[in-house]
Amino acid sequence: MVVTTNNLVQNTTHKVVIPFYVYGAVSFLAATILLFVSGNAFTQHYFHPRTLAITHTMALGWGTMIILGASHQLVPVLIEAKLFSNALAYASFVLAGIGIPLLVYSFFQFQLNWVAQTGAILINAAIVCYLINLAVSISKSKSENVHAVFVFTASAWLLVTTLIGLLLVFNFTKDILPQDSVHYLSLHAHIGIVGWFLLLVVGVGSRLIPMFLISKYDNRKQLWLIYFLVNGALISFIVLFLSAVNSVLYVIPAAAVLLALILFGNFCYKAYHQRIRKQVDEQVKISLLSVVMMLLPVIFLLVLIVLLVFSFANTNLALAYGFSIFFGWLTAIILGMTFKTLPFIVWNKVYHNKAGMGKTPNPKDLFNAGVFNKMGLAYLAGFCLFIGGIMWSNIIVLQIASTLLLITAALYNFNVVKMLLHKAVIK
Amino acid sequence: MNEVITSNQQKCDQALAALHHVIDPEIGLNIVDLGLLYQIDFDEDNKIIFVTMTLTTQFCPMGDSIRSNAGKAMQHAFPEYAIDIELVFDPPWSQQRISEQGRQFLNH
Repeated sequence: MVVTTNNLVQNTTHKVVIPFYVYGAVSFLAATILLFVSGNAFTQHYFHPRTLAITHTMALGWGTMIILGASHQLVPVLIEAKLFSNALAYASFVLAGIGIPLLVYSFFQFQLNWVAQTGAILINAAIVCYLINLAVSISKSKSENVHAVFVFTASAWLLVTTLIGLLLVFNFTKDILPQDSVHYLSLHAHIGIVGWFLLLVVGVGSRLIPMFLISKYDNRKQLWLIYFLVNGALISFIVLFLSAVNSVLYVIPAAAVLLALILFGNFCYKAYHQRIRKQVDEQVKISLLSVVMMLLPVIFLLVLIVLLVFSFANTNLALAYGFSIFFGWLTAIILGMTFKTLPFIVWNKVYHNKAGMGKTPNPKDLFNAGVFNKMGLAYLAGFCLFIGGIMWSNIIVLQIASTLLLITAALYNFNVVKMLLHKAVIK
Repeated sequence: MNEVITSNQQKCDQALAALHHVIDPEIGLNIVDLGLLYQIDFDEDNKIIFVTMTLTTQFCPMGDSIRSNAGKAMQHAFPEYAIDIELVFDPPWSQQRISEQGRQFLNH
C-alpha cells in the first residue's frame, strides 16, 4: 500500500486544457490559409477586411485561446491553489469558440451586422467567465505571487480590450462613440497587445523559463518594476490617446515598454546564464528567441512615432509592426511553449495511472523532433520574408513567405495531432 | 551524492537502488541523483517505510507522477511494507543537491 501526503498543487484536468490547444492549432492553420489567399491585402491599408480577419484569427483564435488553455493549467500552480471551476473554463471555451469565427467571418465579409455583434458579445462573455474563475481561484490562494498578479492584471486588460472591441463593432452600425471605429483601432489594439499579451507573457515566462532551464535565478524586484512600467505605459498611452495630444508624447509609453522589454530580456539572460542544464532544447531556444523578437515591433513603433511627428504616415511600417507582433513575437513564443507544455499535459493524461509499470517515453518523445525543427526553419524564413514583402510591397515575396508560414502551421498541427493521438508505450 | 537521512543504512541503500529507476521525465535524470530524496525511515514494528522527498519546484507539473512512480518502485522493492511518501518544500530543493553523476549527465 502506498500512502501519499497530499501537499502537491492539484493539476487542472486535461479535459479542460486540451480543447483550447486544439482550437489554437486549427486557428493558426486557418490564419495562414487566409494569409496565403490574401497576400495583396498586405500591400494596402491595414484597415482591410482580410487583414482584420487574419489579425483577429491570430489574436483571438491562436494567441488568446492557447494562452487561456495554458493559463487554466498554469494558474493553479502559480497561485498554489486549485482552479475554482472547470464548468466556467468549459463555458469560456464554448463561448469564445463560437464567438471568434462569427467575428472573423464578419470581418472577412466586412458586414459588421448582428453576426459580428453576437460574436463580440460571446467573446466578452467568455472573458468574463475566465476572469471570474481566475479571481475566485486567486482569492482562495494563501500565497501572494508576482506571477499571479501579472496574469490577473493581464486578464483584466483583456476584458477592457474586448469591451472596447464590442463598442467598436456596435459603433459601425450605431453612433455610440464620438468618432468612427477606425479612430479607436490603435487604442483597442495596444491595450490588447501590451495589457493582455505582453503582461501575460512576462508574468508566465518569468516563471517558466527559469523552470525549464533549471535555473535558480529569481528577481522579484525587477519583475515588479517591469509590472509598473508596462501598466504605467498603458495608462499613460490611454490618457494621451483620449486627450488627443501631440504625437511626440507617445514616445513616453513606447520608451517605458522598451525599458520593460530590456529588463525582461535581462531577466531571461540571467536565468539562462545561471542555468544548471547546459543543453537547451529547441523549444526553449524558440521561446528565448521570441524574447529578442519582442524588440522588433518596438523599433517599428518608435520609427512610426517619429514619422508621425513629421506627418509622414507609413502604411507598410504599420502593417509590419502589427505582423511582427502577431506572427512574430507571439507566434514564436507559442510555437516554443506549446511543445514544452502540451507534452506534459498529454504525458500526464496517458501515463498518470501507469506509474511503475515499466519504462515510459519522456514527454519530449511524444512529438517528432525532426518535424519540430523543420517547422522552426520554415517559420523563421517565412516570417523574415513576409516582413520584407510588406516593406517592399512585393506580392511574389509575400506569396512565398505565406507558403512557408502555411507549411509552419501544417507542421505544427501535425505534431499537435501526433501528441494528442499518443497511446501508452511501456517497455 | 547527497546524504539521505535514514534509520537503517542497509535498507536505505536497497531503497535508493529501487528509486534509481524513477526518472524526472522533464530532466531525464533519476530522482536519487537529482537529490529529491530527503529522508527514508523504516518503522519495523508497523512495517511502514516513510519517504520524505521534494521536487525541483513546487510548480512541477510532473510532481504527481514522480511521487506515484517513487511509491510504486518502493512497493516493488519492499512488498511486505506499507509505503508513506511525503512531499515537502522546506527546505526547498537546490542545485547543490544534484550528485556528481547527475551533474555529469546534465552537462553532457
